[in-house]
Amino acid sequence: MFDFLTVSTGAELFGLTTAIICLRNDQSLIWRGQILFLLITWLVEIEGYNLKKDYVNALVAKTDLPHGNVWLYNILLIFQAVFISLVFYDVVKVYVNSKYFIIVGLAVLAVFYAIDLSQHGVFKKHNNTTLVMSILFVIYSFSYYYYLINERQHHNIFKLAPFWWVTGTLFFFFGQIASTVFFQILSTIEIKFITTYTIYKILNVILYGCWSYSFICRKWLTNKSEILL
Amino acid sequence: MVNEQVRNLVIITTAIFLIAPAFVVVYIFVYNNRKKRHILEKQQMQLSFESELAKTQLEVQEQTMQTIGAELHDNIGQLLSLTSLTLSSVELNNKAKARQKIDDSIDLTLRSIKEMRLLGHLLQGDQLVAVGLVEAIRQLVSWMERSGRFEIVYTAGDEIAANRNADKDLIIFRITQEIFNNIIKHAAATEITIDLDYAGGLLELRIADNGVGFVADEAPLVGHGMGIQNIRKRAGIIGGEAVISSDKGAGTQIIVSIPYP
Repeated sequence: MFDFLTVSTGAELFGLTTAIICLRNDQSLIWRGQILFLLITWLVEIEGYNLKKDYVNALVAKTDLPHGNVWLYNILLIFQAVFISLVFYDVVKVYVNSKYFIIVGLAVLAVFYAIDLSQHGVFKKHNNTTLVMSILFVIYSFSYYYYLINERQHHNIFKLAPFWWVTGTLFFFFGQIASTVFFQILSTIEIKFITTYTIYKILNVILYGCWSYSFICRKWLTNKSEILL
Repeated sequence: MVNEQVRNLVIITTAIFLIAPAFVVVYIFVYNNRKKRHILEKQQMQLSFESELAKTQLEVQEQTMQTIGAELHDNIGQLLSLTSLTLSSVELNNKAKARQKIDDSIDLTLRSIKEMRLLGHLLQGDQLVAVGLVEAIRQLVSWMERSGRFEIVYTAGDEIAANRNADKDLIIFRITQEIFNNIIKHAAATEITIDLDYAGGLLELRIADNGVGFVADEAPLVGHGMGIQNIRKRAGIIGGEAVISSDKGAGTQIIVSIPYP
């Protein structure tokens, strides 16, 4: 009954639950939006799991192969790009007006998405978009760190919600760069799924672990004055 | 076999890609802790500076009050007593003598007024923010000159007035006050030269006398006023230094250099 509860979906469910508990009354619309984003991600993961199961069953039964779940993740990519960019805008705006930088980043991603779409349609993984998006988010993360360490004021970063959110994002997308770059190589050998899924499991646990902790910081540990900044 | 190698390669690369951000995060933690220590040290220094400033303010006021008290007792008090005595001895039937005594009394009263005015200026020296360092030292010099014991040459650059730092002014004024005290009490000098110059972001106060001088090792560190060490410490608090050169019978020269404003 609960066979859809894998390591990744479990980590996502944990993140979603923490977000609902911690952020449902948050003053910031963007932070409250994490609940919706995590809910969409979790539903996509479950549907993705079901689609993958159908695909494997068809493979075993040697019947007509369905399209698998890649198209679903390609759609999720749009939500990821927009929402994570928005959160980066929110955490960096304390230091600098990053509006135009984020808009340019999203435009670049839109171009790559269109190229991926025109080259191989929606049923193949949009590797170029994923790679560029990961690089962009890693740059945003480093920018945040740069502003944080150059800030005159001292923060207790153990309790700083944006820091933990950015840290989780950095780990996930830095790891995803390696994973995406090697996806092409992995696709030529049969161990592709085992290896990528193991890597994604680890990345997901780190991502949702850090994000959940950042939600806890946001709710209970970060000073109100720091949130209002 | 090849598959196994490729898989290992991918896993190792991904692991490296995970370790790299871990190093970045650790670096940020270390840097943040260092920043915290630095901020705490700065706050501590600011607190000690403010406490030293308050102490200096009190010392300046105390010194000014002591001087005024002594002046009132030794000078103005005497003048007014003499005025009272002269007026009480006026014989109204001897008009010529009475005229003379009244004129003397008027003269004594005018001298008292003049002395009071000078004391007023000295009191103004305490209000450094209002009169500025150059003027405050000038009041001190005027007061010193009045004793008739010293020949004083005081020169001050014009640029100082344009650049002001009230906190530093107060400490430099206190240092000057104490150097004057030391000259009066210990130097037995007859000539004093005071130069106040400002150039290249550095304020330099040079005070030299032709007194008895002292051997550096024998100079009192504490006790007499601020002491030599204290003059150096006060200069150090505002980022400057005090160089004291002296020898037995060769007078003393003190150069206080302060980054300014």
